[in-house]
Amino acid sequence: MIRRLAVLGRSLLRRNAVEREMDEEMRFHLEMEIRKLEERGLDPDTARTKALRDFGGVDKHKEEGREIRGLARFEAVSQDVRYALRGLRRNPGYAAAALATLALGIGANVAVFSVVHGVFLQSLPYGGGERLVHLRQVAPGIGIDNAPFSPKEVSDYAAQTRTLTGVAEYHSMWFILLRDPEPERVQTGVVSANFFDLVGVKPLLGRTFLPGEDAPGSEPALVLSYDYWQRSHGGDPKIVGRTFKMNDRMHVVIGVLPPMPAYPDENDIYMPTSACPFRGSAAMSNDRTMRMVSLFGRMKPGVTLDAVQTDLATIAGRLARQYPEAYPPKEARFTAQAVPLRRELTEHARPTFLVLLATVGLVLLLACANVANLTLARQLRRQREMALRTALGAGRGRLARQMLTESVVLSLSGGLLGVLLAKGTLGLLVSFAARFTPRASEIRIDTPVLLFALGISIATGIVFGLIPSFPQRRNLVGALQEGGERSGAGVGRHRLRSALIVVQVAISFMLLIGAGLMLRSLWKLQQINLGFKTERVLTTRLDLNFSKYRDLESRRAFQIRLLERLAGQPGVVSAAIAGTFPLNDGGPQSGQFEIEGSPVSNADMRPQADFQNVSTDYFQTIRIPVLRGRGLAPSDRADTPYVCVINQTMALHLWSSQDPIGRRITVDRGEHWIQIVGVVGDVRQYGLDRRPPDQIYLAQAQFPPLSSTLLVRSAADPLSLSRVVRDAVHGIDSEQAVDRFRTLEQVHANALASPRLTFILLGIFALLALLVTSAGIAGVVAFTVGERTSEFGIRLALGANPREVVALVLRQAMTPVVIGLALGFAGAHLLASAMSRLLFEVNATDPPTFLAMSAVLAAVAAAASFLPARRITGLDPMIALRSA
Amino acid sequence: MTVLPARTDLLQGTLDVLILKTLALSPMHGWGISQRIQQLSREVLQVNQGSLYPALYRLEAKGWIRSEWGNSENNRRARFYELTRSGRRQLAEETESWERFAAAVGHVLQASAP
Repeated sequence: MIRRLAVLGRSLLRRNAVEREMDEEMRFHLEMEIRKLEERGLDPDTARTKALRDFGGVDKHKEEGREIRGLARFEAVSQDVRYALRGLRRNPGYAAAALATLALGIGANVAVFSVVHGVFLQSLPYGGGERLVHLRQVAPGIGIDNAPFSPKEVSDYAAQTRTLTGVAEYHSMWFILLRDPEPERVQTGVVSANFFDLVGVKPLLGRTFLPGEDAPGSEPALVLSYDYWQRSHGGDPKIVGRTFKMNDRMHVVIGVLPPMPAYPDENDIYMPTSACPFRGSAAMSNDRTMRMVSLFGRMKPGVTLDAVQTDLATIAGRLARQYPEAYPPKEARFTAQAVPLRRELTEHARPTFLVLLATVGLVLLLACANVANLTLARQLRRQREMALRTALGAGRGRLARQMLTESVVLSLSGGLLGVLLAKGTLGLLVSFAARFTPRASEIRIDTPVLLFALGISIATGIVFGLIPSFPQRRNLVGALQEGGERSGAGVGRHRLRSALIVVQVAISFMLLIGAGLMLRSLWKLQQINLGFKTERVLTTRLDLNFSKYRDLESRRAFQIRLLERLAGQPGVVSAAIAGTFPLNDGGPQSGQFEIEGSPVSNADMRPQADFQNVSTDYFQTIRIPVLRGRGLAPSDRADTPYVCVINQTMALHLWSSQDPIGRRITVDRGEHWIQIVGVVGDVRQYGLDRRPPDQIYLAQAQFPPLSSTLLVRSAADPLSLSRVVRDAVHGIDSEQAVDRFRTLEQVHANALASPRLTFILLGIFALLALLVTSAGIAGVVAFTVGERTSEFGIRLALGANPREVVALVLRQAMTPVVIGLALGFAGAHLLASAMSRLLFEVNATDPPTFLAMSAVLAAVAAAASFLPARRITGLDPMIALRSA
Repeated sequence: MTVLPARTDLLQGTLDVLILKTLALSPMHGWGISQRIQQLSREVLQVNQGSLYPALYRLEAKGWIRSEWGNSENNRRARFYELTRSGRRQLAEETESWERFAAAVGHVLQASAP
């Protein structure tokens, strides 16, 4: 706004300067002339009068001077703008239709561009973020593509890298932070002291960790995330220096972070590695295979990513030679790799937003075609006015420029509305984007986005403003004659309007196919047999305090008491504790095992499965069917032989036709044996679209987990039980946090949310496209009918069947629709293959979708043509003829 | 600028050449140009003072002359015009075509009835 004022001000100032100079120059001339006349003997008054008379009208000269000296451009433009506004005011129907279409087209693009800019284009919110990499260990030979590091490896990489300025370690855990009125479960990033310096984040308050603050024995310190500080501490400015009890120790808050992406996790607080009871343990620090931390690095200036990869591969190779027992064999092709942080932060959002970008691009094209069509219709009506103005001396260039001004005025107003529209819907889009990328919080409508809006508004105005001027009228006389609209050059415009209908139909078809494919995919996702029942089940996280429940016995006691307490509560049908449940974030731990009788010597070639610990009633609570043998029973106790239940996939995978019941497996090389007692149905553990891996369910009573979830099947609304659950937990341990109550149905809906929202977005665009296109078709047909009324009157008077006349009109109207469909078919194939990554079990060329959408579009187009064409049947030939 | 209908009347073209010619001799302000033309044409050509300035601005817009503020002979601020390189070229061309035109008109007028 300020900048715009400055530009205007400058041009006005310049304008005054030019005026002043012209004034001065002419005054000088007059003075010289008067002096000359006075020297010839005239008296001053007479001399003055004569000089002025000779010179002529000063204003007229100045006017000419102004035109020549560039100001005319300014004046003409502002005149055009005024004229355009007047024209639009006189034509509110046209203006409203065009504005609505443009606001939609531009608004959709601005909104999606704000996401593209916020997520993909703008620099990462870390100092020098483009040089940050995430390290990982891979062994493609045995299907490991993203293994973390052990603390031992962290120090090896830190010491040996030649291409990174340093490496910082990170992992995330849930801890309980004690405070009034209720203990709080906080997600905690556990980092090396150099983490924040390495990723380039400066604290908002206080400081981040100092070198050495992660050394064993250091005083536990906390850095709060901005969101947590705002949410849980009301943005308390005096937070630095406060202490909180966690893990039986006092932790002091040393700083608060600025807002930053919820990456690598949505952490509430950060602590140095020394403060984490788990990471700080001797077992963790000394075992090279305890791989549980992530590693981040910063590339040295001038170093390429390739050089980093080579460097990491060298170190990985060296470590594998040095400690062969801790690394997989050669054929596993083990190595270490770096992934740029930018890719890590954005790659999941890319497919969806590329499709959305293509979609809104098409919507804008459609909007252009539609407005061009409306403009053409308007111009056909204005032909005589234009011809008249040409006849009166208006230059063709000036007229064209004026039309263009009108379209740009229109598109800029549409753009303004579009920006408002985008601003209004941004919140929805941000929460949608947040499903794919932690950068969603950086999306906003800022200067670059506004510049983009300005750019596409002007471009749109020029495009749809130029299209109608293609068929230039040559025949001035024809246009001026009575009934001139119908003659000669009108044909070119009609052809152009048909071409625009072709474009609109083609684009609508592409958008319909996009939405149709998403709908099919969504439908298939909803049809999936989850393997469990989601109705009336309440879930909550149950993370026991690590330092309080150190041994298995205390955990077991807590969990058994809790289940006992809940079992007696009214409304509780059954309750279970499980490490996790299907479709929950995270998922169970993966581990290796050996089958009795088939030992595998090399550690990395052993069979692998998901392990999770569940209580007796787990299968019953979420209704997972027991297919063979038995489920877990109350009789499986700590002092009875270890048992497990496996899923069907594992039974088929490892024993195919044989019976797995009674077989034994071991996870500790034969120290303990676990007997398989049953086979249960598969569940969609990791997402609707992913088949589960081999899964092993251990008995919670035998292997009580530290971090778990509680599942309660209720008789009525499950959320009504949350109070009961909270009281039951606090009745056993008042320092235990209980939060994040969700129903299984909510979890399921959340798993469907991304495809559903994508479908809704594409569906809205497709519907609007269909609406705009059918209005366009109806408009063209109505115009044709109106224009040819007298012709039809003659036909009817001569005995033509009104139906045949209607059929004639319909045939003509449907020709561009059919061509558009054919073109749209080709285009839709392109769009659909770009979408294939978003689709589940739906082919990009899915015939039912293509057939159904063709039918929908053809039917809507036919209806849109028929409505105005129907008027012909009611036509009175006499009136029709007279109206000519 | 297409705003103005392209006037092709002889007078204007003539005035342009005369201005260019005058400025070829030395830079000069508007009033000086009008006096000089009058003087050089031995008082035959009266420059319509009203069309002088539009012509000057037009020539300036075409880049044939450029202007600068300076002090006049009686020490007043005045805008001085001078010929640019392309103006000089233009003058040569216009002079030649004028001479051809004048010669042609001369031939026609001197022709005797057959």
